[in-house]
Amino acid sequence: MSKKRRRKFEEIVEKFVELKDTSELMMDLAYSSLLMNSRELAEEVQKLEEYVDKLHTDFELLVLSSGFKKEEAKGFLGLIRLGVVTEKIADAAAEIAEVVLREIEPHPVLKLTIEEAEETITYVTVSENSSLVNKTLREAKVPEETGMWVLAIRRGDRCVRPKPETRIQVGDVLIASGYAEGEEDLKKLASP
Amino acid sequence: MPRFEKIEYHPTSVRELLLEMKNLSELMIDLAYSAALFNDRELAEDVLELENRVDVSSYLLEMEIMLAARDSKDAEALTGVSTVASAADKISDAAADIAAIVTQNIGIHPIVGEIFEKVEERLMRVKVAKDSILAEKAIGELELAARMGVDIIAIRRNKDWIIDPKENEKIAIDDILIARGTSAGLKEFKELCKGKLRKLED
Repeated sequence: MSKKRRRKFEEIVEKFVELKDTSELMMDLAYSSLLMNSRELAEEVQKLEEYVDKLHTDFELLVLSSGFKKEEAKGFLGLIRLGVVTEKIADAAAEIAEVVLREIEPHPVLKLTIEEAEETITYVTVSENSSLVNKTLREAKVPEETGMWVLAIRRGDRCVRPKPETRIQVGDVLIASGYAEGEEDLKKLASP
Repeated sequence: MPRFEKIEYHPTSVRELLLEMKNLSELMIDLAYSAALFNDRELAEDVLELENRVDVSSYLLEMEIMLAARDSKDAEALTGVSTVASAADKISDAAADIAAIVTQNIGIHPIVGEIFEKVEERLMRVKVAKDSILAEKAIGELELAARMGVDIIAIRRNKDWIIDPKENEKIAIDDILIARGTSAGLKEFKELCKGKLRKLED
């Protein structure tokens, strides 16, 4: 396979990974917004939905414009289908978030769900002098240090799905959930 | 034809059901992508099995909703819960669709998996052999994440699934472990499970 061709494939896969990660992030956040009755998280999901639609279109255009040979086409049909399903997952996540945004007064059945969890959502910005800068999430051990769980990372106008190997950067906003007492610890860690 | 079993009502907390659906959906999606990208039929079959579990939870959730509705105000407030049940169902259907890419032999170009592996961690399923040193050990004491960058995200024990197993969960012979990690880490982990590698290195 030529270098140029391989590069093209890499580009397609990278686009797909971004699409997949964003849709999985939406699902995580949607369920969390429901379990914590958090409008903030639900709004985050809604914002991501538009972004996913754009990513999906970009991805399909990229695949379609790649000029596959007939024998390669089948292998990329699978990938196109994967893209379609990924977008469906994002839609379902948005539906869950909508419930949180619409609900005026949650039904007692749902309230039970929420009240048992005395968790809060915190947004903290990582400052230059934080020990977290340039560490991967695995190295940073945020849950061990603070009891807070990083749900998402806002980077510029994008939202990133946190993975163990995700590297924390200056200016990242960590969106985390946990018990109120961990909030202060996390703030100290992120912007001392 | 698949067999559809009757689902009997038993009182379950809505929180428990929602949590289970959240965990199951996440696991299914993860498994499904790995199955499709690496053309792994066994993973695909696990996904289809988990789909049944989500179906059961979403049925039970619907039953809870119906029982909780006393008047029109209740009905109004409960519609939200019902929406969630149906969204969770959609997610599990989506995972099953992804798995179908493998089971229906459509497949994905192998180069995709090859490139994907460089940017993302993958999942693997492996059975614990009789003579594996992992048998009878608690997950926490193995420190797999620190040693080889591998996390056990689920255990399939006979017909049961333990999702996101706790540190004190003991690994048993014949368990099927679903692990996430880098390809080098997973390779080592596989050898440990199969009993080919006999000691944990630091």
